[in-house]
Amino acid sequence: MSQEAIEVPADLAQVAREHDFPLELVRRALALGFAPAAIRAQILRGISPQQAEEFISQQERLRAGQEVEVPEDIARMARKRRWPQDLVQRALRAGLSMQEVRAMLEAGLRFDQAERLVIIRERAQQRQQETPEQRQRRQELAWMNVRTEWGVRVRPGKKGLTLGSLNVGSYGDIPDYWPYQTEMPRGAQHNPGAPSMGYTIYEKAELWADNAADLYEESIQRQWKPATAIPWEEMAPLPEVQERALAQLCTYLCQNALVCSDVIGKWLKEMSYGYHEVKVYMATVGFDYARHFDVFRKRAYLNGVGMGRQSPGYYLRVIKDARRWTETSTLMFIFNTSYLIHLCQIGYYTAASEGDALIFRLAMQDLARQTAYGIKHLHYFLMRKPECREEIHSYLQRAEALFAYEDDKDRTLPEALMVLLGGGLGQEELKRGYALLNYFRRRWLRDYLARLAAAGMPERRDRLFPYLRQWSPVPAVAR
Amino acid sequence: MSQETATVRATFPSLEWFQALKDIVNGQEAYRRIGICDTTMGIKIPDLQKFYVVTFEAFEVADVKEATEEEVEDCDFWLEAPYARWKEMLENIKANGKADLHHTLNTLDLEDPEGFARSHDGLRRDAFYRFNQSLQFFFDASSAIDTVFLQQGT
Repeated sequence: MSQEAIEVPADLAQVAREHDFPLELVRRALALGFAPAAIRAQILRGISPQQAEEFISQQERLRAGQEVEVPEDIARMARKRRWPQDLVQRALRAGLSMQEVRAMLEAGLRFDQAERLVIIRERAQQRQQETPEQRQRRQELAWMNVRTEWGVRVRPGKKGLTLGSLNVGSYGDIPDYWPYQTEMPRGAQHNPGAPSMGYTIYEKAELWADNAADLYEESIQRQWKPATAIPWEEMAPLPEVQERALAQLCTYLCQNALVCSDVIGKWLKEMSYGYHEVKVYMATVGFDYARHFDVFRKRAYLNGVGMGRQSPGYYLRVIKDARRWTETSTLMFIFNTSYLIHLCQIGYYTAASEGDALIFRLAMQDLARQTAYGIKHLHYFLMRKPECREEIHSYLQRAEALFAYEDDKDRTLPEALMVLLGGGLGQEELKRGYALLNYFRRRWLRDYLARLAAAGMPERRDRLFPYLRQWSPVPAVAR
Repeated sequence: MSQETATVRATFPSLEWFQALKDIVNGQEAYRRIGICDTTMGIKIPDLQKFYVVTFEAFEVADVKEATEEEVEDCDFWLEAPYARWKEMLENIKANGKADLHHTLNTLDLEDPEGFARSHDGLRRDAFYRFNQSLQFFFDASSAIDTVFLQQGT
C-alpha cells in the first residue's frame, strides 16, 4: 500500500498540523504499523520532525531486512554487559529508538532484563498487526491474556537450569509481605474465587534466607541412598560393648531425626506460597531427616544389636513447641544441628570401617546445609527485626537449659559416647573416653558459638547457659 | 574412584601439582556424580610459607592458583598443617589409592584441636562438611600423581 493511500485519522491530522508536524511522516509511521494513539503521544511529547525522520528511516530499513549501524559506544557497552550480538538490532526492530537502547545500557540492564523489555515491545507490535479474527480469539481465551510476565526466558548455567535462575524480571521480586492467603504460586495471576488456605507466615523476614534456592539445588544434587550408598556387607561387627554403644548413639539419632521431621511437617503448611524457595528447601530437609532415621536404624540393626534406650527428649520438646518459625529454625538448625554434627563427628572418629565413616560423613553433609539455612535466616531476621534480639536469646537460653537438664539427668547417651571413644568398659578406657568426650564437646561449643556469631549474635559467647560453659574454652589435644 | 596408572610427576607443593590434580578430577565422571560443589578452599603450609587457593564450582574444579596468606584466609575455609602432615596424608593416599580412615580430611580435622579446616566465619567453615565427599575425592585423586616431596631441612 502506498503511503499516499493511507488515511490519517482526522484528530491525528489536526494534532500534527497544530504542532507543525509533517503529515508525510505520520503516514510513514502508520505504514510501519504504529498505532495512531502512539504517534499522537509522540507528537504531543514534542518529538521533532528530524528525530521522527531518523527513527522512521531506521525502522523502514529494519523492516526491509537491513541492519542498522550501531554506534561504537553502544556496541561496546552491549559487549561489556554481555548482551547477545543480535539484541540491539532486535530492540531496534521492536520499535525502540537508539537513544532508548543507549539509556538501557547506561542504566546497567543485564541481557535478560533488556530482552524482556524487547519481548514486551515485540508482542505489542504483533498485536497491532493482528487481524480482527485473531484479536477475537485472543479475547475469548482469557487465560492466555493474564497480566503475568510472559516471554521470560532462562538459560541453563554450569549447574543446569536451577530454581534460583528462575528469579528474573518480576519473578525475582520477592515481596516483603505476601498478600495472598491462597495456593497461588508467586508470579501467577490471582484468582479472586480461590479459597484461603490458612497459612500463618506472610512476612519475608519470618522465614527468608538468601541461600534457600541454592541449598535446595545442592540438596537434591547431593542426595544419597542409604540402601545402596553404604557398603553394608563390608562392615564387620565391632566388639560387643562398642557395637552396643554405637547402637545407642544410632537410637538417639533416629529419635532426633523423627522429631525434627515432625517439626518440618508442622511448619511447611504454615508458610505461604510467596516464599517457595524456603518451602521446597524445607521439603528436602524433611527428606534428609527421613534418610537419617533410615540409615541410623539400619546401622543399629546391622550386626545383631538393634535399638537402644529412648532419650527423654526434654530439649527436643522445646523445638516441637516453638511458636515462631525463627525460633524453630534457630533451635533446630543452629542449636540442635550443631549438636548432631558433634555426635556425627564422634561417630566418624570412632568408625572402624569405611562404611561407618561414610554414614557419618554423608549425614554431616546434610546437616551442614541445615546450619547454612539456619544461620542465613537468623541473620536476615535480625537485620530486619533488631528489636527481637533478646527474644532469640530467650529461646536459646531455654533450649540450652533443658539440654543441660537432660544431659545431667539422663546419662545414657554420654555414657555410650564415652564407651565408644574410650574403646571399652575398663577403667582406663572409660577415663580416656571421658577426656575425649570433653574434647569433642569443646569443639561442639566452639562451632555452635561460631555459627551464632556468623548469624549476627557474637555476644551469645558471654551469655551461654552456665552448665555449657564447662566446654566453651579452646579444645585440648585429641590424642 | 578407579585406580589409574601414574602418568604425571609433580612436586608437592607446587602449582603444577595442583593443576595436575585439577585435570585428573575434572576428567572423572565419578566426581560429577557426587553433585554440586561450590566453595573456595585454601591450602596453607606454614613451615614452607606456601599458599594455594582451589576453587570448586558446580561440577568441576574451576581454578587452582598460588596465593598469598591473606587470600587463603579469605577463602570459605583453609586446610592448615605442617609440611610433614601433608606429606604423611599424601603418602598414605598413594599407598592405598585413597586415604585410609586415619588420614581422611575429617580425621585430620578432628584430631587437631585447632582443626585442619579453619575459617574466620562460622557459616563458611561449614562448607568443609557440606562438600566433604567432593573434597576427599579431590585429594584421593592425587594417588594418580607421581608426587615428589621436598627434602625437609634442605
